[in-house]
Amino acid sequence: MIPLIASVTLRQLTRQRRILLLVLLALVPVFLAVVFRIVADETSPSDPAEFTSGILATFVVNLVLPLTALLIGTSALGQDIEEGTIAYLLAKPLARWKVIVAKVLAAWALTVAVVLISVVGVGLIVLVGNEGTSLIPAFVAAVLAGSLAYVVIFVALSLRFSRSLIIGLAYVFVWEAIISQFITGVRFLSVRAYTVGIADGLTEVSSDILDRSLSMTPALILLALLVVLGSLYAVRVLTCYQISERV
Amino acid sequence: MTTETSDVTRPTAAVPAPVITLAEVSKWYGNVVAVNDVSFEVGPGITGLLGPNGAGKSTLLHMMAGLLRASSGDVTILGEPTTENPEIYRKVGIVLEREAVYGTLTGWDFVLMNAKLHGLADPVAATRQAIERVDMAYAQDRQTGGYSKGMKQRIKIAAAIVHDPQVLILDEPFNGADPRQRLHMIDMLRAMAREGRTIVFSSHILEEMERLGDRVLVIVSGRLAASGDFRAIRRLMVDRPHTFRVDSTDNRRLAQALVGDPAVTGVELDGDRLLVRTNDYGRFTLEVPRIAQREGVTVRELAPSDESLESVFEYLVAGVRGGAGGES
Repeated sequence: MIPLIASVTLRQLTRQRRILLLVLLALVPVFLAVVFRIVADETSPSDPAEFTSGILATFVVNLVLPLTALLIGTSALGQDIEEGTIAYLLAKPLARWKVIVAKVLAAWALTVAVVLISVVGVGLIVLVGNEGTSLIPAFVAAVLAGSLAYVVIFVALSLRFSRSLIIGLAYVFVWEAIISQFITGVRFLSVRAYTVGIADGLTEVSSDILDRSLSMTPALILLALLVVLGSLYAVRVLTCYQISERV
Repeated sequence: MTTETSDVTRPTAAVPAPVITLAEVSKWYGNVVAVNDVSFEVGPGITGLLGPNGAGKSTLLHMMAGLLRASSGDVTILGEPTTENPEIYRKVGIVLEREAVYGTLTGWDFVLMNAKLHGLADPVAATRQAIERVDMAYAQDRQTGGYSKGMKQRIKIAAAIVHDPQVLILDEPFNGADPRQRLHMIDMLRAMAREGRTIVFSSHILEEMERLGDRVLVIVSGRLAASGDFRAIRRLMVDRPHTFRVDSTDNRRLAQALVGDPAVTGVELDGDRLLVRTNDYGRFTLEVPRIAQREGVTVRELAPSDESLESVFEYLVAGVRGGAGGES
């Protein structure tokens, strides 16, 4: 049942034009990597490993990852709610947790596919033949973990709020990006911080950006907690979900 | 009005157990009451919910379908609660009014997906059967996004009956269907009812009830205004005060003669226009020609002036309000 719902969801999601825009956004860091390769001497930083960790920890983790997860995560179930097709899922003798798991899996797979264009593209272009290739698997793992957490949050938000996109934008670009700059405690409640923390824990390459993050263990524990609680909440909301002609 | 509903709330032992039961069900959204203390039972066969748009039919059907929780009261199907009870959908099929179909799926894939979501043992056979039943095999390989409204409606019905449910709930199923599709759908639902299924549908169109509703529940302003077989409902609508527009060779003379007739409750002569009110539809229509003949007046036109369904509902609303006032 889960593969069936997930595959229908993937079909719905890939039909959207916004996916194309997200892929274009994911190609921007790759383009920057090509530029770096050509004119490395004139760029700052000029060290390939430092450039890679910098662009991955900022452009990709700050922008490409959350934005992709947001647009995909809020429409994985949000689209069904908007178009009314959620009735076909609800009017079935089907455990609600299966619906949530399927939706999360589909959104997660697509998010990872888009974001890995950036990670793998930048990594291969900049690091091949250089030091610091361990950044690639480290960021692949971090993106896998981070996008799962984001997707769970956004699927749950889309069930609860019709304006989940706005709320998600506020979470990512106000809470995680701005408020965490001033209040260090916020990083304990920030998927961005977990993601960078995991990447940092998996590579021996050290850089300013990575060193300021959470350490690996608390990042993993908090992320796992968020995924479990977020999923349970989403299942709960879907179980009591009501459909009416009134909006 | 009270007598019309009482036979419903007190079923006798001989009546088979109700399939769908609503007990003192209300639903409100903030301050707006959508459904107000409605109780009824539905047995096998076809039951129609009749009422104007916004009367609460859709809200009632959503609550029966378990997609909406009642603010108070109980809704059960075969003795089981409908909300937070996904297992109920093994026995219940639902067709909502919204035109939601997965546009990129073909008709076949759409019905097949529903069959698989039900966990059916042989989803392919069930899909073939359901699509044949709604007569959509000819278009099953086309994407549902390109279907007409009537075709979407039929493929939605196929999806709703793919698991052979005992109970079928349809919200305004005939919207957008052309007359031929409508007839076909009516035949199909009739055949399903003959198999002992329980079918509930809503409509705001009286003729659809006449063709399909073995039993009719009239919903007005969130309340159950009347219930019974179609003939009883029609009689109720016929027994209400009627106003006729009369045109004759001598309206003044005819008006004077009509005033004396017991079937007439009011006469209004306004220039050339003669309006006559009556409480007795049958007697009045027989009396008018007789009186006219006696008075030597030729009637050129005799037409009901308020035959729209809206005025029927207005009358029923007044009855509901009157009934509510009487109880308090």
